[in-house]
Amino acid sequence: MKKKIIFSMSCIALLSILLSMVLSGVVSYYDSLEIVKKATIAESHYIQNGIALGGDDYLSDIRSAGYDTAAAQSVRVTVIDTDGTVRFDSVADAANMENHNDRPEVIAARENGAGESVRESDTLNVQSYNYAVMLSDGRVLRLSVGMKTVFGSIERMVPWMLLCSVIILVLAILLSTYRTKQIVAPVNAIDLDHPMENDVYGELSPLLLRLQRQNETIKEKMEELHRKQTEFTAITENMREGFIVVDAKGDVLSYNTSAVRLLDVHPEDDRPQSVLAFNRSPDFRDAVDSALTGTASERITKLAGRSYSLIANPVTNDNGVQGAVIVLLDVTEKEENERLRREFTANVSHELKTPLTSISGYAEIMKDGLVKSADVPRFANNIYTEAQRLITLVEDILKLSKLDENAVELGRADTDLYAIAQEVACRLKIPAQQNSIVISVQGSSAFVTGVPYILDEMLYNLADNAVKYNRPGGRVVISTGTEGGHAYMQVSDTGIGIPAADRERVFERFYRVDKSRSKQIGGTGLGLSIVKHGAMFHHARVSLESEPNKGTTVRVTF
Amino acid sequence: MRNRLDEQLELLNTELIRMGALCEDGISQAAKVLVTRDEALRRAVDETEQEIDRKEREIEAICLRLLLQQQPVAKDLRLISAAMKMIADMERIGDQASDIAEMVEHIRAEVLPGSLHIAEMARAAVNMVTNSVDSFVRRDMDIARAVEKADDEVDALFNKVKSEIIALIAEKPEEGETCLDLLMVAKYFERIGDHAVNIAEWVVFSLTGEHD
Repeated sequence: MKKKIIFSMSCIALLSILLSMVLSGVVSYYDSLEIVKKATIAESHYIQNGIALGGDDYLSDIRSAGYDTAAAQSVRVTVIDTDGTVRFDSVADAANMENHNDRPEVIAARENGAGESVRESDTLNVQSYNYAVMLSDGRVLRLSVGMKTVFGSIERMVPWMLLCSVIILVLAILLSTYRTKQIVAPVNAIDLDHPMENDVYGELSPLLLRLQRQNETIKEKMEELHRKQTEFTAITENMREGFIVVDAKGDVLSYNTSAVRLLDVHPEDDRPQSVLAFNRSPDFRDAVDSALTGTASERITKLAGRSYSLIANPVTNDNGVQGAVIVLLDVTEKEENERLRREFTANVSHELKTPLTSISGYAEIMKDGLVKSADVPRFANNIYTEAQRLITLVEDILKLSKLDENAVELGRADTDLYAIAQEVACRLKIPAQQNSIVISVQGSSAFVTGVPYILDEMLYNLADNAVKYNRPGGRVVISTGTEGGHAYMQVSDTGIGIPAADRERVFERFYRVDKSRSKQIGGTGLGLSIVKHGAMFHHARVSLESEPNKGTTVRVTF
Repeated sequence: MRNRLDEQLELLNTELIRMGALCEDGISQAAKVLVTRDEALRRAVDETEQEIDRKEREIEAICLRLLLQQQPVAKDLRLISAAMKMIADMERIGDQASDIAEMVEHIRAEVLPGSLHIAEMARAAVNMVTNSVDSFVRRDMDIARAVEKADDEVDALFNKVKSEIIALIAEKPEEGETCLDLLMVAKYFERIGDHAVNIAEWVVFSLTGEHD
């Protein structure tokens, strides 16, 4: 821009110099032509008069007076006879000169008494002005003056012109540089962030206004984008589900921390990564590949010992699949619960069916009259025992389901565990004695805020197990007390113990260590399950120590 | 904008992970076949092996294209040359997995005593392959070094299995052929461990430029 301004300014300056040079040349030429004409005409009158007074001698006097000197050479005096022969010439030898009758000024003089002409010489910048006048004797006097042509007068000015041009050019460049700087400086200094606060020339204000508006729009859009980004991040970061977005090539575009945690990866942020770097198990690969070919899929997959629900959905638009969204959800507990529920249902049906089958069997035999009347009481007793077993079982199931749903509406009260222990020991005295087992209570009072009925049920189940799974002559010790600010109740026995492999599972419903033996001992298989749920209800912790064939200690700490 | 070199390197990276994952599939399938003797699974090992072979050729083509068209230097060149060595090891792992699956066919289940440590060997070898691929995926030198150490464990297990098989032959000379097959299977697992170590070493090379 600056260069263009300098160039155009210089052009204008040069053009004006050139034009003024030509004009002044032309004007001064015509001025000097006029002066020459007047002087020549006046001179011709003098010479005319001179000739009239002095005759031809005057003419020779002109020559001798020095008209042929260098100074006066510019005026040439010629006398032409009527027939055109040159009679006198102040410069050249008249005898050698050609006939002059065809000269335009001579012809005009003969016709009108006077005539003039301008004749260019061989060189461009010199010309001659010729003036002819008819003398009284019919001869013609002609004066010829050399002078510069238009070009000649312009030529004289050229050196000055050049000097002026250089000066003007330098000035033009300096000035235009200065001006462009002056124009550009405020434009450069515009604060683009706050366009309307600038104090520049009025011509720029439409631009500034537009800038201002665009700035506002951009700011709004940026804020909106930022807000959306923040929302998105907040949502994905707070999801428990792992969330990965991949592009059509399978490179990860975005992921949340849950995904990183679930898949146990440490992605680097600085390079685009294939989603396979997150996980490359066959299920995962298959899910991603099928999503990228446009098929959504949902499956349960096992990763590092845990179950995940893996959902892969393609992201499509008019141009086909653009990528995929992968969602990972840890369903290990759900799966586990589902498994337990299935097992429970199966177990309940089985446990209910066994006594019912016996009852139905006994009843059928009696109905058909196949039983001797002496055996009827025994059969009735069997039916009664099985029915009792059924009732106990249903009661236990009800208790459990109540605990499951936290539906126990019995009021909580400060309860002494020691009192409960004594009561339980009292109740179990007779069954213990039958197996020659000594049952005893130790420790001190320990108060907990809880539901007495459930606490009693828990301790009874523990002590009952201790008696059942004991050996003749064994011992059962129920102890209560406070340790480290926490109340506890504990049941130790000298029984058969629980193998290490089964310790985790004995709290599961209907789980039996020795399935054949439990039939003979009785019990529903729900006892420890009730203890576990009761403990959960009271926010207590159950710990179990056991050594096979030595004994088991179960402690509930509140 | 990513340039073409980066794009092709990323493709190479992805395909290597894919091939590594296929190897893991193949060997864990083979190890499972050893226990379950599932016919469908045995065929799956063959399919995986063929896919590994295809992948090897694909990756080879990617490497050559990179070398010819991009003239890579320094780290990139190391990655590419390491990749070309790694795929050879991976391909061997695939072959051995399918060999194991084939061999299992001839081993009668009743001969296979539960006390044999071959399943443990299989687990250790699978772990080594998984870890060597992991070290590549995460560019992790520590995992790579751990793989090199784990090889001693597999070697020790191999010696153990070997002496167990010797005892077995002494006990039941009529099952000698099966015992030899078992020994071969154990040797294959041991070889797979060696290949895993090779892969880990090439990972270290691609990261540091040192290879021993």
